[in-house]
This record gives sequence, structure tokens and C-alpha cells, in this order.
Amino acid sequence: MLLELKNVTVPTLDQKKTIIRNISFGVKEGSIHAIIGPNGSGKSTLAYTIMGLNNYKISNGKIYFDGKDITNFSVTERAKLGITLAWQEPARIDGLSVFKYISLGIRNENNIKEKVKEALKTVNLNPEQYLYRNIDESLSGGERKRVELAAAIAMRPRLIILDEPSAGLDLIVIEDFMNIFEKIKNLDITILLITHREDIGMVANYGTLLWKGEAIITDEFPKVMVKYCKKAGLKEFCKRKLFENFMECYEEDYINNIFKEENV
Amino acid sequence: MSNKEEYPVEVLKSLEDYNIDIRDFIPGHGKSAKLLLDFNKISGIEQVEGIILKGREIENGIIADIIIKEGTKHEEPIHLCFGVNKESGVQEIFPRIIAEDNTDVKILAHCSFPRANGLIHKMYGHFYIGKNCYLEYSETHYHGENSGALVAPVSHVYVGENSVFENNFTLTKGTPGRVKILIDIYAMKNSIVKSNIKAYGRCKNDSIRIRDSVFLEGENARSLIKMKAAAKDGGEVLMYGITEGNAPYCDGHVECNEIVLGKGSICRARPFIRATDPTSSISHEASLGRFQQKWLDELQAKGLTEEEATEILIQAMLGE
Repeated sequence: MLLELKNVTVPTLDQKKTIIRNISFGVKEGSIHAIIGPNGSGKSTLAYTIMGLNNYKISNGKIYFDGKDITNFSVTERAKLGITLAWQEPARIDGLSVFKYISLGIRNENNIKEKVKEALKTVNLNPEQYLYRNIDESLSGGERKRVELAAAIAMRPRLIILDEPSAGLDLIVIEDFMNIFEKIKNLDITILLITHREDIGMVANYGTLLWKGEAIITDEFPKVMVKYCKKAGLKEFCKRKLFENFMECYEEDYINNIFKEENV
Repeated sequence: MSNKEEYPVEVLKSLEDYNIDIRDFIPGHGKSAKLLLDFNKISGIEQVEGIILKGREIENGIIADIIIKEGTKHEEPIHLCFGVNKESGVQEIFPRIIAEDNTDVKILAHCSFPRANGLIHKMYGHFYIGKNCYLEYSETHYHGENSGALVAPVSHVYVGENSVFENNFTLTKGTPGRVKILIDIYAMKNSIVKSNIKAYGRCKNDSIRIRDSVFLEGENARSLIKMKAAAKDGGEVLMYGITEGNAPYCDGHVECNEIVLGKGSICRARPFIRATDPTSSISHEASLGRFQQKWLDELQAKGLTEEEATEILIQAMLGE
């Protein structure tokens, strides 16, 4: 496992409530692993906890990265090990150029400009048009998210955590983003995909269902998805839609078996 | 004077740190009007069509008149360089800038004191901007690395009907020393005033106080004051952003962002807004202290330490 969480519990900052309760799961190297669950289930908190952000400290449990205990590592130390995060709503900072922002995470200083350009191309942005623009309000939401992805890719990390990458995007753009996820995977970068949408999760190999702060199941993605729908009270329409989506990616028998096992 | 070799190289070098082409300040180069001052002596002066530039040396400095004749529009900025390559002394500048009606020009002024250690620079500037004009005045400062300058410029600006005045002041390189800046801008009917102030106090001997005032005296006059500063390692910055709305439907805003780094550093912001007309709209916002945690998190997730992330954000904020 590239990333492993063992009995992780995360309280609120004032320690009065528990957001994530005793979670354990692993993420295989080279995979796309989706964390799915409804709003408020603790998905973003989990992302920030794995990244090691200052306001998200675990009260119990351990986090391992490539076998190394990183539970007490700072965000900077984790980033240097090869973990990074692309934010759901990345910040807009006046005066900071796209070039400068993307280049911040590039450790090897040779050909930085070429590396930044390459990262922009990976997220389907024309370097000539974007390199010297600022990451301020002049970028649309979609453009800013692409720049965020490019910055993460340019680091050449081992694990990218994508926090709700589809939030606020229209359908055509979402399809493009899913192609970008495949490109990232082909760069040998493992993806931890935080999403509440089953169509986004279709690119995932594996998944973990988060429900009210608890991990209900970790398995192949279709199995996790069916469990999610069942737990949410699957309606006939949803069942059909889910089946259609699965049929685009998997064998019919495999899908039928999952539905049968879960009795839906 | 016709080449830079005759002018103190250190003074011109400091322009390069601001990405300014030093040749633009040398008479004989380019197509711009220019005035080059070496301490209290006029080293070079060059006029172009439509721009009258005169200078007269006085005991401790100069009186300079810059007159932009009616209808003059120039893409090339007027270059003013007030350099002092001595450690100490007094330099006093009395510029009188008149932009006649329907003019469109930029003025790029650079005050450079690379060896300052007990140096005093004072300026008493008067700007008169006529009707339907666009005047951009950008002034960059470099006071060396000894915190050894006392800089106290005072300016009064009249902005005529339908005119735009953009003021940019930048003091982000080196150690400023003691700086006291005072600027009063009077905005007439339908005029627009933008004022961008950036300053960085880097050590305990740096004290920067800037009072930037806009008086909206004409109907529909508008203004935006943006003040950005950082104080580090005992440095002190105080920004007064003042806007008064004294005319119908005028609209003004004051914005102040200041970052404090290290023990003993102090940032203060005193926005003062006043409205005497019931149809005017005047507002302000200020933030002091550290950068938003989210901004720091995002940069740290790229492998930067908190200190490195803060430095990058300061550079971005001050446009370094």
C-alpha cells in the first residue's frame, strides 16, 4: 500500500466533536481510489488530515506513507515525501503568476519553464495564454482548478489528493477533467479522489464509502458505489442510471453479480 | 551629459532591481522627456514636443517645472531620477507639475539613495491636472541597506473634471529608514483617482508612515486607495488611508492589507472615512497580521515551509 490509515480519529479543532471515527483503509500505488459519501460525511476533513494541514490533527490512530509512519509529519514534510493536494476551491492570490505558482513545487531546477508548460498542457491549458497571467479573480473557476491540477502534477508527486475536483464545473468540462485524471494516472501518480458524484468516481479502481464519519466499506469501486446507493435508499431511477454507467466500464455479469450480492 | 558612465552607476543600478531600463533616464536615449539629478545638481535635462521641462538649482536641491501642453499625448513616460550617491546631506525637490487639458502622459520617477546613512530627502510637490486628462505618476524608491535615510515628501494634487489620476508609490527594496509621506488629492467632477501604495519595512530601524488622502469634491468623483505593506524583524509601518465624500454621488474606497513578521514588528492601519453628502458612498476595509491560513496551506502543500510561503506571498502582494 502506498497510503495506509489505521484507526484514524479526527476531532473538531475544539476537540468537542468527532468528525472522523476510527477509519482504516489503504490506497494501492498506481490506482485511482475514490472516497465517496454524502455532504458532511467527513470527506474533505479526511483529505486535509492526510495532507497534514495545521487545523486537522488526529486524536488517535496512525497514517503510513510507503510504510513510513507520517502521523506527526507537517504538511511541508508530507509534500516533500510526495503527497500533495488540489483544493476544491483553490485560493486566488493577486500578484502571483501562473508560472510562479506552478513552479513552486518543482524541486529539480533544470528546465523549470518547460516543466511548467508541460504541466499546463496536461490540463489542456495553452501555456502561451496562461503562463504569465495571475492566479487572481481574472481566472474562471474551471481555469483556476486546472492551474491547481497543473501545479500538483508539476511536483511529480507520488500521491495527489483531489478534493471535489468537479465541484462547480459544467458537464462538458467534467468529462475533460476525467480525461485529465487518466493522464495523471499514466504519469505513475496515485490519485485519491474525493467526490460525492458516482459519475466522477467511475474513473476509480477502488473506493471507500464514508458515512457520518465512518468508513463503511473499502473495495472495488462498483461494489462501494452499490453499497453507497443502498445505504442512501436506492430509487429505481438511480439504480438504472448506476447500471448504465457501470456498463460503460465493466462486464455485464460482474455488474449483475454486485447488484445481486447487495440485493438491489 | 550623454551617457550613463558620467552618472553614479550605483544610483542607476538600483533601478534594475525594479526592472526599470536604466537607459531611459539618460538624456540622448529614447524619445522621452527626462530630468536627471545628481544630489543637488542637474546632470541632464531633455524636453520633447509638448512637454516643457525646466529645472533650477537652489541651495539644497532644485525647483523643477514640468508642463504638459494642451492636447499632448505621449506613450513614452517622462523620466525623473533623483539620485544621491553620498552617505549624508540634504536634498530638497520642489516639483510643479501641470497637465493642461486633454493630455495623456505617464511620469516615472525614481528616488535612489544607495549609500544613505544620515541622508535627508524632502519633496514638496504640486500637481495641477486639467480637464479630460490621464496622468499616471509612478514613483519607486531605494534607500540602500543601512536604514540611513529620512525621506519626507509632501504632495498636493488637483484632479480636474473628467480626468484620471493614478498614483503608484513603491518602496519594497532595501531598507527604507525613516519615511514620512503625505499626499492630498482633490478630485473634481467625474474624475477618477487610483492610488496604490506599497512599502516594506525590513528591520527595527525602518519606520514608514504614509498618509494618503483623497477629497472627493466633485459630483460623481470616484477613488480607490490601496495600501499594502509588510513589516519584518522590528520594522514599523503605519498607513493612513483617508477619503472624504463631499459631493453628490461620489464614491470612494480605502483598502489596506498589512503583514507582520517577526517579533517587535508593528503594522498599523488607520482608515479614516467621512461623508458630508447623503448621496455619497464611502467605504473601507483593512486586514493586518498574517496571511490567510488557507493560502499558507496551499503553498506548503507544494513543499514550502511556512516562512518560504510567507515570503512568496509578500512578494506577490508587493509586486516584487
